[in-house]
Amino acid sequence: MAKFVSETRRMRTTLLLPIVVIASTLSLQANTEIPIPEKPLQVLEDYCLDCHDEFEQKGDINLERLAINWADKGERHLWESVHHMASEGMMPPSDERQPSPKEREALLAWLDSSLLEHTPIGGTLPRRLSAEEYQSTIRHLFDLPDYKLPLGFPKDSEYHGFNNVGKGLVLSPPLMEAYTNVAEEIANTIYPPKRTTPPSTTRTAGPNDMVLSFSAGKVVDDALLLVSRGHEIFRSCSWPSRMEIMSSGTYRITVSAAKHKPTWGGPMKLEIRARELTASDRSRADIFRVLKVMDVPSTEPTKITFEADLYEGQTLLFRWMNGDMAHDYSKFAKQMREWFERDKRWLAAWQHTVFPNGDFSEIRGSVIRGRSGWEYLSKALADPGLDMSRATMDDPLTVKFLEMADSNQGMFNYADILCHYYFTNGPAMEFHEATIEGPLKLVDGPREILAKELQQRFTGTRQPKQSEIAFARETLETFLPKAFRRPVDEQTIDTYLGIAERHLATGNSLDTTMHLLVRNILISPRFIYRQTSPGELDEYNLANRLSYFLTQAPPDQQLLELAHSGKLSDPKTLREQAIRLMPRKPTSAMVQSFTGQWLDTNLLPEIMPDPKFKFSEAEIALAEKEVEHFFTEILTKNLPMTDFIDPDFHYTTPQFARNNYQYSYLSQKNNSVSNILLQFNLEDFHQEIEPILEKTCYSCHGPDEQKGDFRIDKLNPNLAEGGDDILWLDVMDMVANGKMPPAQANVSITEKERGLIVDWIAPIDLSKGSDYERSRSDIQKLPLDRGSRFGGLLAQSAIMTATANGVDTQPVLRGVWMLENILGMPPPDPPEDVPALTPDTRGATTPRDLLSKHTSDKACYSCHQNIDPVGFVFENFDPVGNWRDEWPKIDTRIDPSGTLPDGTPIKDITDFKAWLVDNIDHFSQCLSEKLMTYATGRVPNYSERKEIEAIVEANDEHGNGFQDLLLRLIASDTFRAK
Amino acid sequence: MTQKPKELNAQSVDRRHFLRSAAAMIALPALESLPVIGTAGAASAAPKAKNLVSIGAYLGWHQNAFYPKEVGRGYTLPNTLSPLADHQNDFTVFSGLDHRAPNGHGSWSNFLCGNTPNVYSMDQIVADQIGQRSRFPSVQLTAGTGEGSKAMSFTKQGIGLPMIQRPSVFYKRLFMSEADKTRMEYMLRSGRSSLDLVLDDALRLQKSVISADRDKLDEYFDSMRSVEKRMERQISQINDPLPTTDYKLPDTDPITPNLLMEAEALMYDLMALAIDTDSSHVLSFFIDGLGQVFSFDGVPLRSGYHGLSHHGNDPEMIRDLVSIETAHMHCLNGFLNQLKEKKRPDGTSLLDETIVLVGTGMGDASRHSNADLPTLVAGGGFDHGKHIAIDASKPEAPLLGDLYITLMQQLGVETNEFSNANRNLNQLFS
Repeated sequence: MAKFVSETRRMRTTLLLPIVVIASTLSLQANTEIPIPEKPLQVLEDYCLDCHDEFEQKGDINLERLAINWADKGERHLWESVHHMASEGMMPPSDERQPSPKEREALLAWLDSSLLEHTPIGGTLPRRLSAEEYQSTIRHLFDLPDYKLPLGFPKDSEYHGFNNVGKGLVLSPPLMEAYTNVAEEIANTIYPPKRTTPPSTTRTAGPNDMVLSFSAGKVVDDALLLVSRGHEIFRSCSWPSRMEIMSSGTYRITVSAAKHKPTWGGPMKLEIRARELTASDRSRADIFRVLKVMDVPSTEPTKITFEADLYEGQTLLFRWMNGDMAHDYSKFAKQMREWFERDKRWLAAWQHTVFPNGDFSEIRGSVIRGRSGWEYLSKALADPGLDMSRATMDDPLTVKFLEMADSNQGMFNYADILCHYYFTNGPAMEFHEATIEGPLKLVDGPREILAKELQQRFTGTRQPKQSEIAFARETLETFLPKAFRRPVDEQTIDTYLGIAERHLATGNSLDTTMHLLVRNILISPRFIYRQTSPGELDEYNLANRLSYFLTQAPPDQQLLELAHSGKLSDPKTLREQAIRLMPRKPTSAMVQSFTGQWLDTNLLPEIMPDPKFKFSEAEIALAEKEVEHFFTEILTKNLPMTDFIDPDFHYTTPQFARNNYQYSYLSQKNNSVSNILLQFNLEDFHQEIEPILEKTCYSCHGPDEQKGDFRIDKLNPNLAEGGDDILWLDVMDMVANGKMPPAQANVSITEKERGLIVDWIAPIDLSKGSDYERSRSDIQKLPLDRGSRFGGLLAQSAIMTATANGVDTQPVLRGVWMLENILGMPPPDPPEDVPALTPDTRGATTPRDLLSKHTSDKACYSCHQNIDPVGFVFENFDPVGNWRDEWPKIDTRIDPSGTLPDGTPIKDITDFKAWLVDNIDHFSQCLSEKLMTYATGRVPNYSERKEIEAIVEANDEHGNGFQDLLLRLIASDTFRAK
Repeated sequence: MTQKPKELNAQSVDRRHFLRSAAAMIALPALESLPVIGTAGAASAAPKAKNLVSIGAYLGWHQNAFYPKEVGRGYTLPNTLSPLADHQNDFTVFSGLDHRAPNGHGSWSNFLCGNTPNVYSMDQIVADQIGQRSRFPSVQLTAGTGEGSKAMSFTKQGIGLPMIQRPSVFYKRLFMSEADKTRMEYMLRSGRSSLDLVLDDALRLQKSVISADRDKLDEYFDSMRSVEKRMERQISQINDPLPTTDYKLPDTDPITPNLLMEAEALMYDLMALAIDTDSSHVLSFFIDGLGQVFSFDGVPLRSGYHGLSHHGNDPEMIRDLVSIETAHMHCLNGFLNQLKEKKRPDGTSLLDETIVLVGTGMGDASRHSNADLPTLVAGGGFDHGKHIAIDASKPEAPLLGDLYITLMQQLGVETNEFSNANRNLNQLFS
């Protein structure tokens, strides 16, 4: 290890690298066996060969030999694992005779020096682009930022936890077929097949040829009625079923429409847009191009004719722009409130329809959406005996209804009923007929426009008099180095030019020739693979490695230029470039891809937590984002590695932290807001503020009623002792800002009273600064006391969820996960004959009892002494990471204690975190190895792990910043060797 | 960390296990002689069926209108199935089966995937075994527009397969026009002839690298060879007579949601043609649904399809929902008619050799429950005509996967397990 410790020493080894590697390449070829020295040989004989000799070969391990051929990779792996088992004390098994410390040391020292000497740094196999890298490479190469791989594109397989490791990136026939298809698709995008002019036709759509969706339209007396001006097209619009434009062109469009039972004199306006027929019916109308806004002045049909361009795949879309009603909850609730105020019968009928029992025992919602609801409602309206006794604005039924109408879901249900009122009584827009004639002439649609842009980018402009073949050569000379991400020699250009020559010679057009070139370039191994150049990791390979590592994209112009001038490998330049490309946002491809794979959070979308945990899909998505924000924060701010384990912040929404991390903003000691609030006298609050709240708020949010399920009188204002901080602040804020009490409420607040509250809340507002926005649903950095049970990677919801199965927890699985991904001590594979642990449904035993065999059986113990403690310590976290004190079903208090591999006893998660902070290099080593695996596409070997060890140690001595560590890793031989 | 579903392997099926499962079915009057438990050996004889058509309805089938009141033979057809009256002895209705899968729209794909959504689906297992015998190893179709990127069929790797939505696209694949054929031939010939040069260059690249890298690049050449072979096969077959048909599609594709039934009928026509011409043996068909309002006999229903599926047990809503589901069955009836009418030279009908599986991944869309999935199997050489009711509350009650094992064995796929199931329904259904 000492070999790599000092920085200057490292620089020297970098310079010496070519020689070292040549030497080791030679030694690879020399197939010489080196005898095992006497001392270690004796230790092997005395303590290992009883079980692992030629004859016994326990666990298929045979260590019986006098000399070792270190050039053999398999041999190196074998002795590496011997070193690992012996140094971790896993072998010999604890019930066997143990070597003395001196004997063990003799074995280890010999193995260490032999392994270091004979394991050359480097050795990544050519890597094909992973699916993610491939997609991103196509996006960059053709400047198609929205390009998505087709549905059904093969997935990459994982190798050592990552999908971009050379060994795991197998190229299979189905994948090659998929590459061929993508190449063809891209070629077709740049050079679309020739269009033929279709004959002009005339197509007509009447009211019965239109799409009716939800309550958007209804055919009444040979006309289609439209009533809502809502945004989502499937709630307000209609469009013809069989009028899909097959060829982009100019068309003559005729529309006739009339007013239906108008209640005012001005013109109704019919909006005519062009929609893509395959776009989602959930789309908002305003994403589609407006063709015309038609004035409809009369109850007699008006007809207009106009010409407009329509593109392939489009049809017409109709909406009544100035309709009475909208599918928008605030507007809908307002409309209903005003209507109730002026028409009590209307109010009583709605009460009757929505609350059939006159109370909240049954509330009809989605069940009566649309015509069903209208039938109930119109029956009630027509009923002479309709009970009007509760038709007042302050009746709880009215209040409840308006509340529901003011929410998204309730609005859809009831607005869809209201549509039917308008279908029956008007006003409505009457649509009679639409006719499309054409194409009158062809025009370029989005497809043709994009193709022309792409052609320009691909070939540039052809010079006058430039021959076709010269033009093709020029195109290849500029495009091939971009596509292959490195300089391309003459011979390669000639080969591709040969394709063009042959194709042109058989009478094909220049466009089809270019089309053919694209198809072929994109299936070349020079495009599909990286690191295919012979010899060392040269400047261009380094540019590629750095770029794909930090940005998941091909190297940009600046990197390629530096590579061209031979400057990139200069340590200073490399560092500058690494800093330039370093991810800065949680949405960076590197952050998402790396954390998703390292921490298995990319599995989250597939895990469906049992509903009893009340962990919604939105929370799963937030949990994944939290990891990305957390990682980015530590990286970009260069925070110490220990912050991964025990930081002084959460990075999520206050609401999420409150629901999942027992988080209370103001209970954090180091928090300026609470410091200020502590200065407030609670007595002052009771004297000055509470009476205002009592008078103004408690009538709706107090003992008698809890509008919005919200009760203020129960909130604890004693912030100094962990009162209801955020909720309470929200209340004060809403009053201070005039949002509460609502204008229509029967209570009022004087300006003086509001002033008192503003004064009260002002210091809090001033102190919140940039790191605390009170929006409860914004992801933000939340202050946290160190040493908490929550906080840091380990207890994050994403990780606790990813390491469980959504239903129950399995301490062994979590333990193995922690060893592999946090501590960097992957246990050997489990023996095959062990049955899976069956959860005990009778509930007689605890998980601990079930696993007691692990400690009683020596064969199990050698591995499980490491696995189980780091698994059981997380038993306090349920399958979605919420805290629990008892094991479910058996009402037994969870015992999370254990003894760590180094003999340290731990009581619980906080102990474990404290231990890990003290031994942070374990974690740093583990994360560094993961980063290097992801970056280099190979699992670090013995020598490389030793180099990383030295880097981790050096970084720890210099502040232990994460960004520093990453930069040191990029400067390492391991990163820079092929 | 990947969660592996608990694996139940064949050895864990012991006698006790079987007895208990038999007990779960004792309620059935139709339990005939106690058969031998089916084994993979049963499949070694010539398969009794050679085509599989899997049909899944996104918004489910309302159980009360799908399940007959009586069990066994001679039941009265329930409302939803009423259009199938002519075929009552050509299909079997199953109630009480499911995959014990999670609930919700997000887990819908449990229909063909079993206990774990979005993994190797039953139709793809079958396609990987028997699909290669035809032009299209498997075909995925959908009718209607719904929420977009859902998939019903998943490859061994767990990749959701895209579905063809336009009848015209499927038609073009089955019966290529001259222009399509010319374009395809051009693409194949130009691609094939230029490939030599790309491979020359690739070979030059391979020669320049060290031996370990060279071996890795062999993967490229192996894969390329398979692409090359496929191209050559297609080129050599380019002049083979393709199936022809007099069948004509309408001018525009019925892809708007209100034309769902029309799209369904066209896809059924095309599927019958595909089977008749041996173009594919494994087809899956997804019936989507969202907010569209259907009109039957000129009367619009009281709510959109999705809205109706959330009926909350309102009888009027249920009646309208069932009328949509009955319309689906009308379309299915047309399909069964065609399969029954079309005969092979030896006189057997296409229906005899085709298993038609009709089901869903959602048992009760109103509650988003994925338990108790209504299932119907037609054709495929089974003894039909019964309603087989499974009491899922009994321990060891059979799973829907057990039925799938029986279906797969009928198709000659030698397997004893599927997802969380490792038995079969051979003793009840053969």
